[in-house]
Amino acid sequence: MMCRFVWWPRMVAKAGLLGLFIVFSLAVQAQDDGFKAVPILTGSTAYFTRVTAGQYQDAPSVSPLLLLPLGDKWLVEAKGSYSDTFSKNAQGDYSGTISYGMAYGQIDYIANRYMTLVAGRFTTPFNIYGERLAPNWVRALQTGPLTSPVTSGSALGGMVRGGFPTSDSLNLTYALYFSSNNTHHLLATDRSTGGRIGFFLPHQRLEIGASFQQVLQADRPHSSGIFFEWQSDRAPVTVRSEYARSSGTKGSGYWIESVYRLSQISALRRLELVGRGEQFFAASNLSAATIKKLGALGKDTNEADFGMNYYLRSDVRASASYGRQFVLGKNANLWTIGMTYRFVMPMLPQGGAQ
Amino acid sequence: MKMRFVLAAFLVAGAMSLAMASSAGNGGSKDAPKDTAAAAAPAGQSDSQAAQKENMHLEGERRFRSNCARCHAAPPKFPARMMATIVRHMRVRAAITDQDMHLILYYMTE
Repeated sequence: MMCRFVWWPRMVAKAGLLGLFIVFSLAVQAQDDGFKAVPILTGSTAYFTRVTAGQYQDAPSVSPLLLLPLGDKWLVEAKGSYSDTFSKNAQGDYSGTISYGMAYGQIDYIANRYMTLVAGRFTTPFNIYGERLAPNWVRALQTGPLTSPVTSGSALGGMVRGGFPTSDSLNLTYALYFSSNNTHHLLATDRSTGGRIGFFLPHQRLEIGASFQQVLQADRPHSSGIFFEWQSDRAPVTVRSEYARSSGTKGSGYWIESVYRLSQISALRRLELVGRGEQFFAASNLSAATIKKLGALGKDTNEADFGMNYYLRSDVRASASYGRQFVLGKNANLWTIGMTYRFVMPMLPQGGAQ
Repeated sequence: MKMRFVLAAFLVAGAMSLAMASSAGNGGSKDAPKDTAAAAAPAGQSDSQAAQKENMHLEGERRFRSNCARCHAAPPKFPARMMATIVRHMRVRAAITDQDMHLILYYMTE
C-alpha cells in the first residue's frame, strides 16, 4: 500500500510529460500570424552591501533567465542564480560563500484563454511574493519578508493556471499544482499539492486572494495564506500585504508594505519610498537546536523597514534601506545599500527586428 | 501499475486535446484586441480606424498600469518580437488575461 502511494505522483508526473509530448506536434501547427516571438536572455545582476547587527556582507549576484518561445503557444523558461556572499573574518581576511541553483526550468503551454499548462520545476504558487516580487530588480526592499520560507519555494511536477475576466469589473486568477519529491541537493522539492485563487478588480486596481499548500510527506504540514495588493488610481502609491500560516516548523506571520513613487515632483520623479512592517510568530514545536539554527525565525520577531529606490534608468536602480529587527534578547539593525541592473537581449542574429 | 500509467496518460492527453480544441474554437486569440477595442469604442466611431487605434492605445495603457505597474517600473519599449516573448512570459507568471496580454502588447509595440 505504501509503495503504491509513493509511486502514484511519479506516474502522474510521467503521464503529464507524455501528454505534453503528444500534443506538442499538434500545437506547433497552430501558429498565430501576430508578432513572431524571439528567444531572449533576460535577468538581473546586483551588488549589495548588507550590515546585519554590525556584520558586514557583500553580495554580488546574477540571475539569468532564458525565454524560448516555440510557436505561439509554448514557452520554455529557465532561470538560474549565482551569488557570492563574502565578509571579513576575525583575521581581517575576506572569505566568501558561493551559492547557485536553478530557480525554475519549466515549459508552458497556453492551451486557451482560460488555461495554461506548466510542467517542470517551477515556483510554488503561494501568495504573491515568491512568484511576482522576489526578483531583486522588482522587490521594493532587498530584505525579504520573514514569511519567505513559508511563501517561497519550488515544485517539480505539473501546474494548471490562468486568468480570465468573469465580468468587465472582475478577473479571476487561479493556479493548481502538484509536486513530486526530489532529493537532489540543488533541486530539492517536497511531494506536495496546493493552489492559489485571486480576484482582481481592474478598475479599483485591487487584488485579493488566498493560497493553500499540503505537503504529502514526512510530518505532512500544511500552509495557508491570504494576500492583497492595491494601487491607487489617484496617487502613485501601492500597498500590498501577505499573511501566511504553517502547521509545521516554518512559523506564521504577516507583512504589509507601501511603495510611493514621487512622480508628482519633477525633481524627485525617479525616487521611490518604501516602508514595510511585519510580525513573525515562530512555531511552538521547535527544539532548542532548531531555534538556534533558525536565528530570528526561531523566535517571535517584529521588524520595520524603510527604504528608497532611485531609478537612474528604467533598468538601473540604486537602493538603500534601514530596518530594525526586534527579537527577544537580540534586537538588530539591518542596513542595505546597492544597485540592480535588469538586462534584456535577443538570442537570434536578427535580434528583435521585425 | 502499467494500466494506471497508460490510463493517466490518456486522461491527460485527452484533457489537453480538449483544451486545444477549445482554443481553436474560440477563433484564436489574435482577435481579442479587436473585439475588446470594438466593444469599448464609442458608438458611431467604430468605423474610424484612427479612433480604434487611439482607443486601443488608451485601453492598452490602462491595462499596463493596472497589471504591470503594480509590481515593477515601466520598461523601455523593446522591439515587437522581443516584447511578444516578454508579454507571454508575464502572462504565465502574473496570470494576465488573454485580452490584457494583447492590449498590453499593442500598447508596448505601437
